[in-house]
Parts: sequence; structure tokens; C-alpha cells
Amino acid sequence: MNITLKINGIEHTIDIIPSTTLLTALRGLGYHGAKFGDEGGLSGADTILLNGKPVNAGSILAAQSEGHNIATIEALGEHPEQGWKKTDGLHPLQKAFVETGAIQCGYCTPAQILAAKSLLEKNPNPSEAEVREAIAGVLCRCTGYLKPVQAVLKAAADLRGDTEYDIWESGLGNPQFPIPDSRLPTPNSPFPIPGSSSNLLTKTKIILTPESKSWQTVGKPEIKVDAIKLVQGKPAFTGDFEKRGLLHAKVLHSPHAHAKIKRIDTSKAKALDGVEAVLTWLDIPRVVYSTAGQSDPIPGPLDTFSLDHKVRFVGDRVAFVAAETSEIAEQALSLIDVEYEILPMILDSRMAMQPDAIRIHDEPEYVNFADSNPEKNLAAEIRIDIGDVEKGFQEADEIFEAEYEVPKVQQAHIEPHIAVTYWDEDDRLVIRTSTQVPFHVRRMLAPILGLPVKRIRVIKPRIGGGFGGKQEVLMEDVPAHLTIATKRPVIYEYTREEEFIAARSRHSMRVRMKTGVKKDGTITANSMYALSDTGAYGCHALTVTGNTGHKAMALYVGDGDYRQSPNIRFYADVVYTNTPPAGAFRGYGVPQGYWPLDRHMEKISRAMGFDPIDFRLKNAIHPGEYHPFSTAWNEGRQPRPEIIHTVGLEQCVAQGRAAIGWDDKFGNEEWHSLQNTGHALRNTKSVKRKGIGIAMVMQGTAIPYLDMGGASIKMNDDGSFNLLVGATDLGTGSDTVLAQMAAEVLGVPIEDMICYSSDTDFTPFDKGAYASSTTYISGTAAVNAAKIVAERIRIRAAKILNDRKQVNTETGKQVKDTSVPVYLSTSIRLANRMAIAPDGKSVSLAEIALDSLHKNNQEQIMGVASYVSPVSPPPFAAQFAEVTVDTDTGQVTVDRLVMAVDSGVIVNPLTASGQIEGGMTQALGYAVCEEMRYDDKGNAIERDFDRYHLFRANEMPELETIFVETFEPSHPFGVKAVAEIPMDGVAPAVGNAVLDALGVNVDEIPLTPEKVWRAIKHQ
Amino acid sequence: MITAYHRPHTLDEALRLLTQPNTVPLGGGTLLSQSTVDPVTVVDLQHLSLDTLRVNGIDPSTRSHRPDVFSGGQALEIGATLTLQALLESEHCPPALKSALKLEAPLNIRNSATVAGTLFSCDGRSPFATALLALDAKVTIVNRQSSIVNLGEFLPLRPRGLITSITMPHNPKLAFEFVSRTPADKPIICAALTQWNSGRTRLALGGYGKSPLLAMDGTESDGLEAAASNAYHEANDEWASAEYRMDVAAVLAKRCLEATR
Repeated sequence: MNITLKINGIEHTIDIIPSTTLLTALRGLGYHGAKFGDEGGLSGADTILLNGKPVNAGSILAAQSEGHNIATIEALGEHPEQGWKKTDGLHPLQKAFVETGAIQCGYCTPAQILAAKSLLEKNPNPSEAEVREAIAGVLCRCTGYLKPVQAVLKAAADLRGDTEYDIWESGLGNPQFPIPDSRLPTPNSPFPIPGSSSNLLTKTKIILTPESKSWQTVGKPEIKVDAIKLVQGKPAFTGDFEKRGLLHAKVLHSPHAHAKIKRIDTSKAKALDGVEAVLTWLDIPRVVYSTAGQSDPIPGPLDTFSLDHKVRFVGDRVAFVAAETSEIAEQALSLIDVEYEILPMILDSRMAMQPDAIRIHDEPEYVNFADSNPEKNLAAEIRIDIGDVEKGFQEADEIFEAEYEVPKVQQAHIEPHIAVTYWDEDDRLVIRTSTQVPFHVRRMLAPILGLPVKRIRVIKPRIGGGFGGKQEVLMEDVPAHLTIATKRPVIYEYTREEEFIAARSRHSMRVRMKTGVKKDGTITANSMYALSDTGAYGCHALTVTGNTGHKAMALYVGDGDYRQSPNIRFYADVVYTNTPPAGAFRGYGVPQGYWPLDRHMEKISRAMGFDPIDFRLKNAIHPGEYHPFSTAWNEGRQPRPEIIHTVGLEQCVAQGRAAIGWDDKFGNEEWHSLQNTGHALRNTKSVKRKGIGIAMVMQGTAIPYLDMGGASIKMNDDGSFNLLVGATDLGTGSDTVLAQMAAEVLGVPIEDMICYSSDTDFTPFDKGAYASSTTYISGTAAVNAAKIVAERIRIRAAKILNDRKQVNTETGKQVKDTSVPVYLSTSIRLANRMAIAPDGKSVSLAEIALDSLHKNNQEQIMGVASYVSPVSPPPFAAQFAEVTVDTDTGQVTVDRLVMAVDSGVIVNPLTASGQIEGGMTQALGYAVCEEMRYDDKGNAIERDFDRYHLFRANEMPELETIFVETFEPSHPFGVKAVAEIPMDGVAPAVGNAVLDALGVNVDEIPLTPEKVWRAIKHQ
Repeated sequence: MITAYHRPHTLDEALRLLTQPNTVPLGGGTLLSQSTVDPVTVVDLQHLSLDTLRVNGIDPSTRSHRPDVFSGGQALEIGATLTLQALLESEHCPPALKSALKLEAPLNIRNSATVAGTLFSCDGRSPFATALLALDAKVTIVNRQSSIVNLGEFLPLRPRGLITSITMPHNPKLAFEFVSRTPADKPIICAALTQWNSGRTRLALGGYGKSPLLAMDGTESDGLEAAASNAYHEANDEWASAEYRMDVAAVLAKRCLEATR
């Protein structure tokens, strides 16, 4: 049918099939600002304005929108500089989003901006609550909504012409100018009445190190290097790429949890008009591999095939289809005739190692790693003993034992997994994919596709969030096989349902704690056993669960002599079940460790009458002590002991307890029983109780002796630089912080450092974005490459300055007297785009660049460097939570989260605080609402954002971030990791706050109303 | 999959199209736009001027008058294709119904989804349907002839035909209470209670099953909590046990009653 759409005032007449959604039509017309997020319209990533109102383009038919005004992000603003052509620049909303750091991955940014625009047109002076309501239709998994809300309020003021309104000065936040004089906790005013303030916008506070004061760019809230393109909705993502003759891939997923494929007939599907290829296990080589995106050799079993004659979970792959449209491909799936022999299944991890359990992996190709044993359905086994745990228990006055449980949860990046593959003109296979690990994708796919590594090129464009879900070579093989089969470009984009049934997730675990404590509060021995469920495949099985112990159980070493020789045990069995595989998810096993560990610490401190903060700090690790696990375990590799040099934990506790008003609230019955005036329940005040909780956590920073990142920097004619990194910015802002560090070394503003990541043909190797490593590892590589460039610049600057000195400036003739002091390259410093000698004489970088490229002893000034670290300095944090619990219904409302973090030096306070805010929000979902469950046939119960709820802008607690800087000596700018640690402490802090409110323990997350209600009933 | 799209300009034309096989009315399209396997023809209702809101029989925008189904009482007549958000923004929408609407769907969906489409496709978790059930709303359905059905009868049967409007009383007090995992999540259990000046008290429960459930409709509020508990004695699913829902249903019912006072 023919329809005419009026988009941004321009009419387009198109020929469509009736089922075409407006989203498909828009993208077909080249409007890429609206993105696919989910089928149900609950993500809102596809927001457009229809007659000025935000609606989901994917949730209405193109035909329905005929005759209406459609507005997309493309109608808003443009880059302020377009050569000779003058433009009006960005829209005030776009400017505000850029300046406030509201953009992380940028996938949902156009949607948020359009929703905000609709609000401001009706209401130029909205309250914070109104802003939150207006953007609540757009899910954001990155930011925690704090900065987007700030951006909208700032833009509203700009649009009103309210020049007096300053979001930073109005008490709403001040990340631009760190507050150095707040080194000490300020005395807190009496606790505020909850609900009396609608102001949830908090300021990020930074306690600076002395070192960071002299820097020009590092430590400053620079805007993200990719912000301007993302805020305009430019076609920056994998799915925005257009290729002629593109085929659409679909995968037939298994309806059975465990079955053999007895017979598979694709003839009807192949006969369907528009179908170009149908592949089953009979059509492609049988190559065993692991999908875990990790360095070689993969530290886990090889137990996966692109396609197999056995399926091991509901959602496992049965066949691939490529067709002219996704509708045809979908239809072809229904025409594939499969006869299954259904096998017994294991859905409960506790059943996996029973003697009579069926074997999930019986394929002869299976390759063991370390102590995996497919005969026992064991993907990995961990037995770590540090010191003498049994002796430690004997020395204890009291022993505490308890069991805890953590659920399987989804990364839920709003951009689904997506890849486009095609043969280029040299018959090299190009894989454009939304991945955290482009180099691992290339290396790992080569044998599966029967291609040498050199004939594969992997391009990673912008990524719409990853959170570990894309540290997996999850689905790139599907379009690649289909491109090989058809010779044509193929796109494969996961649906949201596929994300839930056929992607990765956080391992669920059942954890047993046993801790020995002396009467004085000294921990004498601490033991954890984890039964971890890896699902049907063993990707990340060993390493995720290893980190559960490695990062959580390392925090409390005990006190006194135990500090030199702590007694710690971590045992784990990682078992196969017939459920979708678990994998990497931000935090990588560590959140699973901190729920049991910290809840256990809280119970012990209460049972023995200790102050919960004092008890934890008494036993926590100190600077100068060995990381206890570094002596015993290293992700399946040789352990190498390492000393922890910086521990800012005590300062974090001091800052956090002041910020949340701990001393006024903890143990104060008046506060606990305070009536929640913010709630509508006027007559039921007495049933509400408040509680406050703390958790202390540590994480890691990269994997020592393994994680390597490379960077190259070259100088251009104008004194600007190209920084090429293999590191993978998945929305975190790593391109920005790497550019900041390189720019600092070279004395240029960040806009002179053009950062590109990543393309396996052009950028140096980087193991990818995981293990909280990019700022530390790839950042050091960028700094080292910059140092090489700086060295060449100084040498040439000295030469130029010396040559000038030897020329009489008046006559232009050589000066005979060569006794004048010679400029030494080592004494020249780089700043403000200049090379400056100690006497103040200087030469500009542009002049040096022109000289080096065109005039004298020509050379390309360039540096390439890489870095691998011998240590993994842990960041530390104190996480605080305040809750209100309805004692009749068990409903827990989290009112406030305060996190004080020692992440070393903060390179960019905007991006770093964005990491903390967004991380706390994800962790909040883990605490109260997110879980993935299966029915008795192994079918996923949660398959969409209706059942799997993500926090929205209009239901957020107050979030507050405090950075307590330490200078980590192993990094040139003193940084440690920030990305993963916010995942660790929220759940236990909330659990502890519920205990504080009610006096009852819930040992299993999420803390759903019924679980809390049961705990109250059984009190 | 949608194989044909029509946008009729008159009710008669729409009704004629809807007599064809595999043909359904299209409201906002938030559900129907998602591809289904079976071929289906959709009849888009957007040009039928059904997106109206009448108070006591009067359309506030046109001032035209039409007798309403609640003889003598005050009534709000909601046109079938009025969006959830338009209803939510109306000054005539009771505050408790606004709370329910906010929980029904996020803003973007509320801007597309229609009142009739939501009621036709809802399940027991729908806060909006729960509230309308408590209000004893009536559904006007046009098939060969026009008929008015109580929402309580409509929900279990979902009869075919074209819904043109939903009418609810405007004078009784409505209260709405819910429990969910987070403040903006769909409820695990919700309760809506309407109390008329006569003392008539009507309680509906939602959060479970295929449709919201009428727990009580009495001349007074006696026995409300027991009725609430009893209504959910089998309400056991993956979200909550019946034991929990029975206990909390009574709590929410009581809170609703307190809120109407």
C-alpha cells in the first residue's frame, strides 16, 4: 500500500506492507534517531513525537500515522560548526544533555530529548517530578536518570531565557568544580523529614588528591568526545548501517529444555519466496568453542557449537534463516520441520551433581579446562584455601553459619545484540558488531568460519550499552555463516525476547557462609561455598564464580596477627543446567559474593553487639597488606602475590555516614518509626518503618599479567592528534577519558585529541572492555603512546628553538657565537598547544607539526604503546541505603542511596559519577525487582520489560555519589577502576536496612514484598 | 501479521468492514502492531470521532448533549478511542483513577493506547480495568445493534463487536491501593473500592489472573476485608502466593475504605 508520511515537515510517499511499523518505515527512510529497544514499547527507545506527543514508533503502524505530524530527533539542532556554513548549533536540550553528562551510551538519548521537548512545549517551567514523569516512558540502563533530569531542567531554564538559573549553583549539583575544602565530613544537620523535599538531585562530591590539582584536562568534567553525534541521533550504531542487498537473519530456537534433533527438514522453508538460506547443524562445520570473550587460551571448557544436533535449553539454536525481510525469515522458521527426542532435564542446580543426573554435555569434542568434569555436569570447580581455616574456626569464640541466595538477572542493555556481516571488495569478511571484545570476536570466530584471522575485519561502532552481555561472541557467527552461505550482507538483530531466552545473564548462586569470630570482634576464619548455575554452557563459568570469592572474600582478613596470615576459604561448584547460559555481567560474580558476605557481617555484628561499621572496619584489609587471594588464585592461571597500596575505605565510610546522616538515624527509634509524609496513605502511617543500612565492598582493576591494551597516537598538520585505541567504549565514556589522559601528556585541549575505537584493521589490540580495566590498562597505554609522541615533539621543539636562537632576529643571519645556551629537549614542557622552554620561549605544536611533516628532516611523529599490569589495585566503597518498609504488605521502598567510592584519581567527574549513578540503579533492580525464572518445562517466565521491570525515571530513590580520591602509584594518573564496584553494595545495604527497619532477615534477593512479608510473619 | 489496513470515516463503514473474517478494530495499535503469525485485517478507528469525553451527557468540547446510561446520576462517558493519557489529563478523571492509569503503562504507551483497546486486551494485572470494575463501568458495544454490557460481564467474555464508549459513574468516591516490587511496577495485587452516597460499596481486586475480580458489591461496607481475602483464595501464581494475596487483599481493602472516608 502507498502512504504519505509527514516527517519533520517533509512529506514522503512510500510503498509498504500493511504490517510495517512506523519505526521500520522511518529507518527505511534514513531516520535513524529512533532505535529498536523492545517489542512491547516499554523501552521507549523508539520515541518520536506524533502531533507533539511522545509515542513509540515501533508500537504503531506506519499507516496509522498518515495525516499526522511526525517529528524525529533529526529535526533538532546540528553541529555548531559546519565549515563556512553558519548554523544555529544544537537545540538547548541537546546542549544541556551534552554539558551535564546526561549521555552515556546515547542509544536512548534522542528518545529522552524528544520526550523532554514535548514537556517543555507545554510546560516551560517544570518541576523535577514533572520532568521525571515526562521521560519515564524511556528506559535508560546507563545513567540512573539523574543527569538527564538535570539536563532537562537546565534546558528549560535556557529556553525560558532564565540566565540567573544555574543548575549547579542552585544546589542541584556541582560536578563541574570539585570541592577540595570538604576533605572532612561536615557536621550533619538534624535528619530531614523524609518526603518533605522533592529535590532528588544531588551533587557529586570529590575529595581531591594533591596530585590532581596541577592538571589541565585530567580531573575536569570534559564533555564526552562522542556526545555531539549521539545527541543528534546520528547513525552511529550497528543497526544504523545501510548496505545494499541486505538480508535479514532469524534463528529457530529450541522449544525444549533438553532434546536430540532426530530429524530436521528445511525444504519447505527453503522453498518460501524470499528465503536465501536455511542452515542446520548438517550444513556447517562442527567446531567446538566457548562463547566467552576472553584472552587465549579461554579459561573455561569448550562445549559450544554454532549449531548442534542436540539442544540444551529452551532458546538454544536449531537453525538459521536468511531472507529478504525479517517477516519472511520469521515465516520460514515456522516452516522448518524438526523431530525432537526429548531428554530428561535439569533445571535446579542442586540436582545437577546427583549421581543419577542426566549428562548435559556428552559430546566427544568437549574440551576440559582445569577441573571441569562433564560427567558430573561440572563446568568448573574451585577450591581455594588461604591459611588454615579449620584452625581459625577452632580459635573462634563464636561460629556463624547461614545460607543465602542470589537470582539470575539480565544485563538488559537497551540496544540488543546486533551484527552486520558482509564480504568486502577483497573478499575479507567484515563483521560490524555491537561488541565489547572486537579482537576476541575476530580471533574466536576464525576457526568457526573456516577463515584465517587475517581475512576477518571486526568493526565496533558506538555501542548501546553492554554491561558484560557483549563480552560474549554470542551471535556474530549467525550472520557470518549466512553471509558465507549467500555471499550477501546479512543483519541479525536480537529481539527483546531473544535477549531473555537466548543471551547471557548473571549466574544465580546458592551460597553458604561460615565465619569464626573472637569476642573482641576479630574474624579468625571466613569460609564461603558457592553453588553456581552456569546454565547450559560453561562460558565464564570458572572466572565469574572465581571472582565471587576473589573480590568479596578478600575484603575481611581479620585483625591483629590474622592480618599477616588470614584464614579464608572459597569453594565453589559451577554446574550445568538446562537453562539459558549465564555469563559476564558488570560486577562479574562479585555482587553474588557481597550479598551473602555483607549480610553475614551485619548479622554477626548485631548478634555480638558490635557497631556494624566498627566491626567491618576492624577486620577490613589495610594498605600495605597482601591481597589474600593473589597468593592463591589467578583466574585459572599462575597466582602472583600483590600488595594493595591504596585503601580509601575508612574515608569513604566517614564521608558516606556524614552524607546520609547515619549517626542521627542508626539506632534512633524516633527516626525509624517516623511517619512517611510523602506517601498517600494518610491513615496508615503507623505501619511504615524506616531503616538504614551499610555495606562495604571492594572490586578489582583489570586482570594482572593478562589484560593488555594498546594505543597509537599520530600528529596531524595542525598539531592535533589521532588517538586510535582498541579499547571499547560501550557508553562508559572511555574514549573520553583516554583522550583526556593523552591530551594531558601532550599539553593540548581534549578537542585536539580525536579518538577512534575500534577496528581490528586500524586500531592496536585491546582485550576489550571488561574487568574494570579500560581507564587503568588502556589508559596507561594511551599515556605511554603519548609520552613517545611528546618525546619526539620536545626534541623537535628544542631543535627549532636552538635554530632560532642561532639566527639574529634582526639581520636573519647566522650568529657566530655558538656559546649561547642550547635548549635541551628534556627541559621543555608541553602546555596550551605549545612546547615551552624554561626561559619562556616557545613554539606551537602546529608549527612543529608542519615542520616535521613538510620542512625539515621530515617524519611522522607517532607513538604506539601497550600496557599490561602486574597488579590489580582494588577500588573500595561504602554503600549506604535508606528504606521505608510497609509492615503490612512487605513492600520495600528504597528512599536514598549514597555511595562513597575510592576509585583512585577521577579522570572525569561527569563520566565517573554517571558510572556510579547508573551502576547503583542496576544494583537496585538486583536488590528489589529483577530476576529470571523458569517454569517446570524450562520456559522463561520473564521475556519482556513488563515482567522484567527496570527502574524508570519517576520511581528513583535519591542517588548521591562521593569520590574519595587516593593516588594509586601503579598508574601514571593514579587511577583505579570505577565501572563495576557500584554493582556490589546496594543489595546488601538495602537488605541490612530492611533488617534495621523490622528486625527480620531476608536472605534471598530480590527483596520482593512477599519475601519480606513472610519474614515479618515468621518473626 | 497485519495483511490489510482500513481507515473508515463512518461507523457504518467500520461495522461493515468488521463483519469480514479475521478483521478486528484497531485502537492505538500498541498491541496489534506487533506481528502475529495469523493474518489479520485491521480497521483503524481514528477517524470515527470516538475520542470524546462526556460529563453528564455533555461533551465539554462541543457542548452537545446526549442522555447517559446512568439515569439521573452523574456519569463520565469515555469514548472508545480516547487515549489513556487524555483521560489521565482530564480534570474529570478521579485522582484514584489517575493513579491506576499511571501504573497501567508508561507515558509513551498511554499516548497511543486507547481506553477500549486496553480493556479489550487487559489481563488481571490491569490497574485501570480493576478501577473501572470497582466503578461498575458499562461498555457500549455496537454489533448489528447497540448493547450496553456491565464491565463485570464484559471482561470474562470479551465479546466481539465494536466498543464505542465506556461509561462510569462520576459521583461516588473511588480509592485505589496497590503493592508492587517498585513504585512504578505493575501491581502484584491492587484493590479499587467505590463507595456511593447510599453506602453501596464495591471492591475489585487486580494483580492476578486473566481479568480483575469483583470481590464485593454490597449495600454497605460490612464484611469487606473477609470478602477481599476470600476473593483471592486461589490467586496463586509466579508473582505471589494465594496466602500472601489473601492477607494483603484485606489490608488494601481496608486502606481503600479509610481513604474514601
